[in-house]
Amino acid sequence: MDLNWNVIFRVTGALFIVIGFSMIPAMIVSAIYTEPDIIEAFIKTIIPSILFGGLLILLNKQKEGRTKVRDGYIIVALCWILASCVAAAPFVISGEIANPIDAFFETCSGFSTTGASILTDVEAMSKGLLFWRSFTHWLGGMGILIFAIALLPNLGISGQAIAKAETPGPTLDKLTPKLSDTAKMLYLLYLCFTATETILLMFGGLSPFDSLVHTFGTVGTGGFSSYNDSIAHFDSAYVDIVISIFMILSGVNFNLYFIIIRQNLKGFFKDAELRLYLAIIGTSTLLIGIYLYVAGDINNIWTSFRYSLFQTATIISTTGFVTTDFYLWPTFCKMLLLLLMFVGACSCSTGGGVKVIRILVILKLIKRGVSLKLHPNAFVSLKMNNKPLPVDTVSAIASFVFLYIFTIFAGTIIVSIDDFSLLTNFSAVVACLGNIGPGFDLVGPVMNYSIFSNVSKLLLSFIMLAGRLELFTIFLLLTPRFWNPNR
Amino acid sequence: MSLHYSIIIKMTGLISLILGISMLPSLIVSFLYDDPSVSFAFCLSSIPLIIIGFLILFLTKNIEKSFKIRDGYFSVTFCWIAASLLGAFPYYLSGTVASFGDAIFESTAAFTTTNCSVISNLDLPLSIVLWKAVTHWIGGLGIIIFAISILPALGINSLKLGSPEADSPNLNKVKTKISVSSKTLYLIYLGLTLLEFILLLFGKMGVFEAVINTLGSVSTSGISTSIPSISSYDSFYIESIITVFTFLASINFMLYFFAFNGKWKTVLRDTELRTFILIIFISFVIVSTTLFTSGTYSTLNEAMRIGIFQTVAFSTTSGYFITDYTLWPTFTLSILFTLMFIGGCAASTCGSFKVIRFVVLIKLILRGFRKRLHPRSVVAVRLGNSVVSAETVSSITVFAMLYLMIYLFTALVLSLDNLDMTTTLTASAGILSNTGIAFGEIGPTADFSIFSPPIRLFISFMLIVGRLELMTVLLLFTPYFWNLEK
Repeated sequence: MDLNWNVIFRVTGALFIVIGFSMIPAMIVSAIYTEPDIIEAFIKTIIPSILFGGLLILLNKQKEGRTKVRDGYIIVALCWILASCVAAAPFVISGEIANPIDAFFETCSGFSTTGASILTDVEAMSKGLLFWRSFTHWLGGMGILIFAIALLPNLGISGQAIAKAETPGPTLDKLTPKLSDTAKMLYLLYLCFTATETILLMFGGLSPFDSLVHTFGTVGTGGFSSYNDSIAHFDSAYVDIVISIFMILSGVNFNLYFIIIRQNLKGFFKDAELRLYLAIIGTSTLLIGIYLYVAGDINNIWTSFRYSLFQTATIISTTGFVTTDFYLWPTFCKMLLLLLMFVGACSCSTGGGVKVIRILVILKLIKRGVSLKLHPNAFVSLKMNNKPLPVDTVSAIASFVFLYIFTIFAGTIIVSIDDFSLLTNFSAVVACLGNIGPGFDLVGPVMNYSIFSNVSKLLLSFIMLAGRLELFTIFLLLTPRFWNPNR
Repeated sequence: MSLHYSIIIKMTGLISLILGISMLPSLIVSFLYDDPSVSFAFCLSSIPLIIIGFLILFLTKNIEKSFKIRDGYFSVTFCWIAASLLGAFPYYLSGTVASFGDAIFESTAAFTTTNCSVISNLDLPLSIVLWKAVTHWIGGLGIIIFAISILPALGINSLKLGSPEADSPNLNKVKTKISVSSKTLYLIYLGLTLLEFILLLFGKMGVFEAVINTLGSVSTSGISTSIPSISSYDSFYIESIITVFTFLASINFMLYFFAFNGKWKTVLRDTELRTFILIIFISFVIVSTTLFTSGTYSTLNEAMRIGIFQTVAFSTTSGYFITDYTLWPTFTLSILFTLMFIGGCAASTCGSFKVIRFVVLIKLILRGFRKRLHPRSVVAVRLGNSVVSAETVSSITVFAMLYLMIYLFTALVLSLDNLDMTTTLTASAGILSNTGIAFGEIGPTADFSIFSPPIRLFISFMLIVGRLELMTVLLLFTPYFWNLEK
């Protein structure tokens, strides 16, 4: 097997070092809140991690060698899995999450920005670990942006090629030829959002700790909160709206933000994906808001719109914060939310799901299919933002959607071994695959994932990562074809 | 407008006549066994239909016009809707249903071989039960003719896959012409029906019951004479016959044609058939094992007997039930739910997505893997020895996407009735796949009376949409269809 182990080890080593260092802010938080056990757990993780990472790099001096497609896939998968393992260590060492599989689930949920939790009482956890948990959201969100916008195209992996091809005007990787420049601009934007929201939340009366924790959850579209009742805890329309806005912003194609900077606002709004995204948000908010007012328990129309905006924004951006137990909502509203779970956010954002752009392509495919039935000999090409869609891209999107659906069914079947209700299993898989977090029934907005068996938790962790990494990236490693040097 | 109204009128006449004549057996039964009000209803339905049918056909005898694609789509949808409407009269006039809307529901459910009902009353007049069964049977026959003869004429290639891979020179002729005459199909269908009827009689089933159950299984609809359905006979022999014949009716009918011509190798090599059998077998093993190990049934024998029956019922979208499966472990339910989505083989009486499309989808996913590793490779999708054309692949892709969208849309509309999510989601699947049963509040009794009247009409419509492979009906709703310019 002709793998470039040199590069694999170097990148892995770098990862260990990065994770190690990134635990330091959380350790400082623990110091502020005087949690010596937690500090100890952190130290026990940070030092070995950095040392081990350093060792890997030192032992594998930079060598000449091509990084091929297979190397890329292995690197990506290793990074995410190992990151989750290392990140889980402080939880296990300190005993706050004793079961390593539970801890792994939690950190997978963190890095994949899902936000599903096995904790039954969030507020009982130490501040340091809560901070670390949410920080993994922030890291995961940034990681995926780098992955999608910078790394994938450079590895020649066309999973996100459509975003590259279809954003009008210059895309980021065309703006900055070097990978490091692209990454720098993304970090900057990401930091801007983070800083702005944190300040705005503090204006809303949140403590610095709470502001940071929830900002991490928003910008990374993760959804971990420091409170059991999530955002409902604050009971503030201001907070709801600030978070809603930033969730929606985090679900937008980050390439588009650079269009605003380089060009103007008009270019931003011309993007077909963005328009569909906003249209879906608007329609859903409207429908749910009206329905809740008319048929639900809410008496004030503004309150119902406040709830519907928040829940719409949180689900479509695949964040997963909660301001109310939407499992108690009328079925129509719940069904709309389920649809939103499928759709997901825009491509090249921190959100998950099938992605709005793929839904757009599906709709165009259907429309063309219909006209072809009437005129079987006609040739109609598909266009996006006035540029033609290459056939390969369309095939890739189609096979992605099919694999997505297949995963949902297969996942539901396997998780069903635990014998919870069909709805629980189905929504758990959908919520994990789409990186949303809360589902329905026993994994609903006021529940958690602690009910599942270890096997199911591992499977769901895997599904979370798979969904985050656009399915094929991880599943490819399971195929015999991948490991066969002859194919 | 390029639609030829004369053809539409002619078809109405034909449908009228056929329905009217089909009502005659029920008419006779109603005289013998039922209330006069029921007999009167059948008189009032059947006789006018026969007369009108004759009249129309007589008056339009000399009109011949050519069929265009648009006419084809319109005709098929029209036939199903017209049949459902006309077939609703006996239910309504006999007072078995509360409203004409409900009558339409019953009738549509019958013609689409779904077998779901909004009548909670279990004590239906015998003639009504017979009429239900007969319409199921006609619906089954109609769909086979639709799939094998009509769709190819409309240029819909996706079901060309229905014909098994060719490895002999003669078969090429069969594939390209729509040469399998409807007559052959009637004969096969009739043959299966008669065979099962006789076999059921051997099982010591009464004549009437044998008729109903035969009509129900050959059309993969699931109708039976009593609730709880087949379990009341408590006979493994009867269950096997019904299982076997539901399965036989779910195979691509073209295969029977090949079998009669002695081309057994083609039949046995057919990818779709093999996949179908494999799916059923694997599901059966898993379901039965789980039923036994979870303690739902105390003996392996019983678990297997009930397991195979229910597995085939869901897989062939017939909707027979032998027990309240909603009490089963969720593991089995999730498998059954998935089976409902896959369905049976193309060009058979079953509904849903169809195994052959499922096979192609899997191959497309696998091809996706290959492309991720070798981005520049160009690989065709193969079934057996032959290549699936790009346009067929495209057609199947569109169908899959459409199925997904329509499923979600159906679930959304159904949710307006504010039933729980499980019921709504599984009922939508049961509707589109023409199975008729579901989970949650619908369960094995296929009792759709929990839905409100407007939703019931919506369901009736969606039953037809699912039956006619989506596109056929939906095309009529696009501006493309009605715009002469395009």
